Amino acid sequence: MKPLLPLNRRQWLQRTACGFGALALGDILQAATNPLAAQIPGMIPKAKRVIFLFMAGGPSQMDLFDPKPFITSRHGQPIDSPLRPEVTQVGTDKYLALGAMAPVRPRGQSGMMISDLMPHLASVADDLCLLRGMNADNPQHAGATLQFHTGTFAEVRPSMGAWVSYGLGTENQDLPSFVSIQPGGVREYGSAFLPAIHQGTALRVPLTDKASPIENLQNVSPSEEVQRERIELMQKMNRRLVGDLHGEASMEGMIQNLELAFRMQTTTPGIVDISKETEATRKLYGVDGKDTDKNGRACLLARKLSEAGVRFVQVTMGGWDHHGDVRGNLPKLCAQTDQPVAALLKDLKSRGLLEDTLVLWSGEFGRTPWSQDLSGTAPIDKHGREHQPESFCSWMAGGGIKGGMTFGETDDMGYRAVSGKVHIHDLHATMLHQLGVDHTKLTRRHLGRDFRLTDVYGEVVKEIIA
Amino acid sequence: MKTRIFTAIIALAGAVQAADLPAGDDAFFETKVQPVLLKRCYECHSHDKKIKGGLALDSRSGWEQGGDNGPAVRPGDLEKSLVIKAVRYADADFAMPPKAKLPADEIAILEQWVKQGAADPRVAAGGAKKRTIDIEEGRKFWAFQPVGNPTAPPVKDKAWPVDAVDTFVLAKLEQASLKPVVDADRFVWLRRVSLDLTGLPPKPEEIRAFVKDNAPDACEKVVDRLLGSRAFGERWARHWQDLTGYSDMMGTSNSVFAEHAWRYRDYLIHAFNSDKPFDEFVREQIAGDLMPAKSVEDRAENITATGFLMVGDVEIVNPDKGKMEADHIDSQISKLGTVFMGMTMGCVRCHDHKFDPIGVEDYYGIAGMLRSSPSTHKIPFGVWSRLNTTDLPETPEQLAARQMQEAENAENIVALKADQTRLTAEKNALAAEVARIEKLEKTAPTDTASGTAPVAPATVGEAKGPQSPKPADAQQDPGSDKEALTKKRDELTERLKKLAAEIQHAEFFRSKVPKAFAMRDGDKPQDMPVYIRGNPYALGAMIPRGTVRVASWTAFPQIPEAQSGRLQLAEWLADKRNPLTARVAVNRIWQKLFGEGLVRSVDYFGVRGELPSHPELLDHLASRFMQEGWSQKKLIRSLVLSRVYRMSTANDSLALKVDPDNRLLWRMNRQRLDAEIIRDAMLAVSEELKTDSAGPALAIENPDNTGSLVAKGVNPPSYAHKVPRPSQEFERTVYLPVMRGGFAGPDRVRSFFDFVDPAQIAGQRPQTVVPTQALFLLNNDLLRKRAGALANKIIEKESERNARLEDLWLRALGRPITSEEHGDATRFLEKIEPLLKGKPAAERLAWVELCHTLLASNQFIYRI
Repeated sequence: MKPLLPLNRRQWLQRTACGFGALALGDILQAATNPLAAQIPGMIPKAKRVIFLFMAGGPSQMDLFDPKPFITSRHGQPIDSPLRPEVTQVGTDKYLALGAMAPVRPRGQSGMMISDLMPHLASVADDLCLLRGMNADNPQHAGATLQFHTGTFAEVRPSMGAWVSYGLGTENQDLPSFVSIQPGGVREYGSAFLPAIHQGTALRVPLTDKASPIENLQNVSPSEEVQRERIELMQKMNRRLVGDLHGEASMEGMIQNLELAFRMQTTTPGIVDISKETEATRKLYGVDGKDTDKNGRACLLARKLSEAGVRFVQVTMGGWDHHGDVRGNLPKLCAQTDQPVAALLKDLKSRGLLEDTLVLWSGEFGRTPWSQDLSGTAPIDKHGREHQPESFCSWMAGGGIKGGMTFGETDDMGYRAVSGKVHIHDLHATMLHQLGVDHTKLTRRHLGRDFRLTDVYGEVVKEIIA
Repeated sequence: MKTRIFTAIIALAGAVQAADLPAGDDAFFETKVQPVLLKRCYECHSHDKKIKGGLALDSRSGWEQGGDNGPAVRPGDLEKSLVIKAVRYADADFAMPPKAKLPADEIAILEQWVKQGAADPRVAAGGAKKRTIDIEEGRKFWAFQPVGNPTAPPVKDKAWPVDAVDTFVLAKLEQASLKPVVDADRFVWLRRVSLDLTGLPPKPEEIRAFVKDNAPDACEKVVDRLLGSRAFGERWARHWQDLTGYSDMMGTSNSVFAEHAWRYRDYLIHAFNSDKPFDEFVREQIAGDLMPAKSVEDRAENITATGFLMVGDVEIVNPDKGKMEADHIDSQISKLGTVFMGMTMGCVRCHDHKFDPIGVEDYYGIAGMLRSSPSTHKIPFGVWSRLNTTDLPETPEQLAARQMQEAENAENIVALKADQTRLTAEKNALAAEVARIEKLEKTAPTDTASGTAPVAPATVGEAKGPQSPKPADAQQDPGSDKEALTKKRDELTERLKKLAAEIQHAEFFRSKVPKAFAMRDGDKPQDMPVYIRGNPYALGAMIPRGTVRVASWTAFPQIPEAQSGRLQLAEWLADKRNPLTARVAVNRIWQKLFGEGLVRSVDYFGVRGELPSHPELLDHLASRFMQEGWSQKKLIRSLVLSRVYRMSTANDSLALKVDPDNRLLWRMNRQRLDAEIIRDAMLAVSEELKTDSAGPALAIENPDNTGSLVAKGVNPPSYAHKVPRPSQEFERTVYLPVMRGGFAGPDRVRSFFDFVDPAQIAGQRPQTVVPTQALFLLNNDLLRKRAGALANKIIEKESERNARLEDLWLRALGRPITSEEHGDATRFLEKIEPLLKGKPAAERLAWVELCHTLLASNQFIYRI
């Protein structure tokens, strides 16, 4: 056993002090080495970016978009259950029909059916493509939400925003390419086995004009000058360490990122600052409104980020899980979301952004035509609805999707789609298609296998493409 | 192909003049039936497109054989022909085409065709034959070959190696005409080995002692100290946890707590610290419950060990229990395959492995054992299930202590309930008093102060602000009385609400019997059928329980009656003849120490994985590991004392050109510290680290953290880590709860630095570099607080700047400060001192800034 070399300070200095020029900052995001450069050559895209409005909890499609006279006419009376005997539900054993609570009427030129609960959305009906034959495979929130975001609920896979970022790269060097506003669990915006740079950056909704939506964006030093000195010293040390190495991408990456982080501190607040928007715009979104403030801010932030070049922006608006008192609760949720969501469409359109921005609105599943009453004693008008992945409604707008179109029909009961079925995989395939990406070609090798967002499934829904 | 068919159809149509062809005729098929199939079915059921559900409709044999559900057409029998059933859309679960029903005339064509005997002249175009896997051929692949014991090859530079390991590495380097770089200096080596073995940096006194120690066994002494420390197990248990999907929560749904999971974590820490032989370690984790035990403690350990198969992502709320069971078994098999065999097994649930010689028989052979040892049970209400637990045996002392706890808890419940009764009475009295006053107000003549009380209802439409107009001063007495009483009543209501939650909590956790999430054999162990395409409702052939044939040296032993077979599986995995277990294990250890595995795809040794860079070395290590009693500590000890491990990370421009990825190991690889280690190391250098942790990770004793604890609720009881225990800010990260929905508070570091998602099995973490990490390092509270504590230590210890700088560098970076750094740091302090003028404790603040700088630098967050 030989003793180790004792420390020789001169040798130490020789090793650490050899000349290493300042790195050209920003290079990490340049072409050849840019992990945010597009990974695949695509078809000609109709959409350049996506805004996904995720209605967590599962909105009641029958009350909002897909009225069923059969059910409404039998309100409070038993109907036949179409469920397989192995499937257990709780509080639905009586299978009572639960009619729509408010009129659902034809809107716009197209006559698309939209509830009175969503007057603002009704005013832009001709920009929407309503999908009434949506279906998914998992009846629980966690599984269904994962499937909606990642295509599967069995294992950890990248979320669709990460796939889009991976496939198309970024449009803005100073911002992440995938941003998720008030997201749920990490797997909903995770990158799984894709490079982590494609992971969604989670933003909080700033509830005041001063608050920062990004974590750790607030300088903790007493002044920017002091922080700058700190960064200078840190960078000097970092460069010394990396000095005698070549091909140490990760350490160099950290050096670059410190600069990007510093820039983000200055540029991001400007991009996300909604206080600079005109009063008319803020009003349009319902910022400062009693019910609409939070979602108004979130939707406005989404527009600003989209406009600034963020490829995939998601806004999660939760609270749709109405197992009880859907009549009391659904109007509240509509009041909180209707105006902000419609405002986003109007605003995008007036800025000429809607044509190449694909907007998607959906919950992870829909709700049953029969009622649910967990107490077992509530009157029918206080009942709610159970989860229903077998059919539900989503809508798309912009990004080369037909406006004013209603696609898909469900059976009389509103349980199953009978035509125009669109599975989540099909929705993913269609979204990628509009972005100019063939969903079968966007793959990543992991543990010996090529993975896709659509796994081995997915058909582009050609009927809805303009 | 497609075009040719079209041409043929057109030609035929022209020749035969269509119209009234007999339906039993080939021509009828070609002119009427085939166009329907082509237009409506081929998209998903033909060899040119897809063969969904295993069904191809582009040849006669295709529908004769049929797909997963059997033959698709029974000539002449409409009712038994699945194609007809599907197009009729009678059963919504079995309706085709999926998007919309066919027009009636097309359905009629198909019905007519089947009724008349289903004439079909098309011959299979080839490619229809099923791929079968060839086990004998598969065995030729290196990973399935028996582990050899190669001798170390000759090398030219005989002075360099200190261990056989070095000779294997050096021989490869010499073949490529490369040389190992110089050794690391003592400071670097000590920081490296300390971080690798314990996850903690060396303390200043340890550094000074080691640098001065000229004894020939100076390094051995360090390594033995580290291996003997408690911190060793805390570090290496976490590596193993990455392989298990460990979490203190169940699946992703409903935030259900996994309140016993920590026992498995503590089992792991203890197993590493006591150097449990790896074969034993494997056996216990798969079948510990079925193994003999020497003592009560031993028995408890064996049971707890099977938590390996329990702690993953369990979706207990799935309402379809058949599917839930199949999914859970699938995750267990995937885990077994990945962790011990380096094989991906998940895809074999539906079909033979596409690349590796693993078939559905192998999968369902193991699945049968796991199905014979159910891990969950459905509760009698709601839709959710519970993960099975086993009561752990207790020593008499443990039993006494536990009963004491339970008695205390029972007393506490009595006291809480007494409080509840007393406060409820108090509240009721108050409420009655308030009601009395209100009644007085209402019945009081309205003329006294006209416009006070009656005003409110009149203006309710506009005035939303103040709830009710203030009573006139004249009535001040009852009014303020009422206000005070109402306030007190509301306070009491709040207290009672809290009290009710506390009582519910104390009653829910009334039993303190130690439990572990553990496997046990079910009542009726038996073989199981193949689930066709993974569907538990589509049953195929029965499969005898067994294991992966391609890695077996002999037939799987007979499983005794009434046993699941887990014990036999465990013995098979821990057998010296198993070609995979030891290789996969030593490669994992190698990767943790050297940054990359000898097989770089550490979780996958299959055909599409990477070949070993040093196959002889891998076998040498595997056989040495087994010969030395499967001792992980011995293996780790010899690896970190090797010359290879001692190399610096210096550059060599020739080697970099020839071998840029350092696969031949001409230098040491640099590694970014894992999330936990970033945090732990910061706590260590600021001397804030708590070093005696153990026990429950969830602060579940705090009712503020638990959701509704109704044992018979529709939803299972839940947990949110809202109020961590105060000590958790300073505990090693391995003891903090692993949540499934992301981390909060002091645990945030894991959300930024590549912590493995607890639904994922990952032998090697990615090392990503993203801007949000830089923001974390610049501005997160974690660094700010640790920097503050570190600054205090330095200021307290030394009064003079130079001495402080020396001390700071040694503490934080494990080495003396260089003269250049000294200059930089001095200038930094001088520059920012004026910027901080006027701030309270400005001098300290300057040191905080410097400490923060060091903790955030690559020098700190990397180990070289």
